[in-house]
Amino acid sequence: MDFERLSYSLSESTPRAGRREFLKRLAVVAGSSALLADLPWWVPLRAQPAGESPSDRVHVGLIGVGGRGSLHLAHLLRTPGVEIAALCDDYPPHLQAGLAKVPGAKGFADYRQMLDMPGLDGVLIATPLYLHARMCLDAFSAGKHVFCEKSLAYTVEECQAVADAHRASSKVFQIGHQRMFSPVFLRALELVKNGEIGQITQIRAYWHRNGNWRNPVPDPSLEHRLNWRLYRAYSCGLMTELASHHMQVANWFLGEQPISCAGYGSINYWKDGRELYDNVNVVYRYPNGVHVVYDSLISNRYYGLEIQVMGPKGTIEGETGRLYAENPPPAPGIVQLINSIEHGVFDTIPIGGPTWVPDLKKDTKGSFLVPGKIDDDGTAISIAAFANAIREGKPIPGMMEQACRSGVAVLMGQTAMEERREVAWPEGFRI
Amino acid sequence: MKEIVLAPRIIARELFFYAACVIAALAVNAYAILRFHTEWKELWTTFPITLAVALVFFVVLAVVRGIVFGCRRLLRLRMGA
Repeated sequence: MDFERLSYSLSESTPRAGRREFLKRLAVVAGSSALLADLPWWVPLRAQPAGESPSDRVHVGLIGVGGRGSLHLAHLLRTPGVEIAALCDDYPPHLQAGLAKVPGAKGFADYRQMLDMPGLDGVLIATPLYLHARMCLDAFSAGKHVFCEKSLAYTVEECQAVADAHRASSKVFQIGHQRMFSPVFLRALELVKNGEIGQITQIRAYWHRNGNWRNPVPDPSLEHRLNWRLYRAYSCGLMTELASHHMQVANWFLGEQPISCAGYGSINYWKDGRELYDNVNVVYRYPNGVHVVYDSLISNRYYGLEIQVMGPKGTIEGETGRLYAENPPPAPGIVQLINSIEHGVFDTIPIGGPTWVPDLKKDTKGSFLVPGKIDDDGTAISIAAFANAIREGKPIPGMMEQACRSGVAVLMGQTAMEERREVAWPEGFRI
Repeated sequence: MKEIVLAPRIIARELFFYAACVIAALAVNAYAILRFHTEWKELWTTFPITLAVALVFFVVLAVVRGIVFGCRRLLRLRMGA
């Protein structure tokens, strides 16, 4: 795949004309790449971006205009061929702030009224987790295309219900796992398929932050509404809100769903009345003895976030976009000579002691997966794909499978920690 | 302030010394290629490193030349005295 041509600067602020140009280039690359032929959700991107004619435009509504919703709003405003027809939020300050950015849009406090709006093609759902399934089901019933933020749903049963409703609806469904559209992760996948790291033997992922994960609350009565990520009635915390991204990548790269998982979680630092863990540690078991090791905490950010795909020949770090070969090519002879002279002059001479060398981390810089600057993590491309899919009226293949695999996997992890037992993939789950 | 004028003769002499250092650095590079069994194309792919090594040689040579010049001058002063 020609990743040089995908090197771009496509950020939240890239204007619509710039995005149209980029999407034109993307359509050519997506149409000619053998790699992308294996990624069915890229099919909509092979279409040329929308022109200026009114018939090219798709009308979408955004449900939830808070943190993630307002980011989607910024991207929607700049996506060619998209008209934001309506905004919905039951928290008036968020709705008012959204409407100020899209003066022509109609505002709703109840999403069901928005779904009844004539001329609306699709909806983006960026609400707390516990509302995802209900809103998806109502949107499919109303004949709308759906873009739902991760994670898919609050329970395994809800995941199943959404998958069934989607199958029956023939509407477009997309999940907010933007790494599926990230050129960096595509390149990583290409390297894995080309055998650059050998067979995947382990995937390790982590997401570390240092903060209480709270939103400011103007009135105590709004605590649960604005800090829903901290309470079990609305979310599964670190698993559904963060881990789902890396579990999607792990499932995608392994081409499998986990067989089972076990783990532990606790609240060991932010003891402020929250109900959901502030640190989680889960190990997932996959076929062929492969494990995905995941941990997340919000009391230390030194290691940040990363997903490490490991094999006998190398390691790929997806978030920083680097490949570390186990046996990198040797340095040029003159560099080796200079190094050997330097070691000869400055190294200490061991007189005695242990003869083993500790297996400390290798201090190599690796090589970049994709050359050039990439500002977008895949969100902008994913929204363009959603708009194109609506325009073409064809469901996006493979999307629900990715949504279910990651959605169910993180729910398994949460159950494993809460019930302190090994949890198996739900028998009979149909995607 | 005293104006320092570098005569073309001095510039040519210093360039000659630097060229000699480049040749010496190339020889070191060839030795390194033989010693570490790397590829001969490194003679030009690592040319910037060769130039840097040549600069180090040139500086070392300048120090040696300075010492020799100083010793000779000291000797001449003593003999004159």
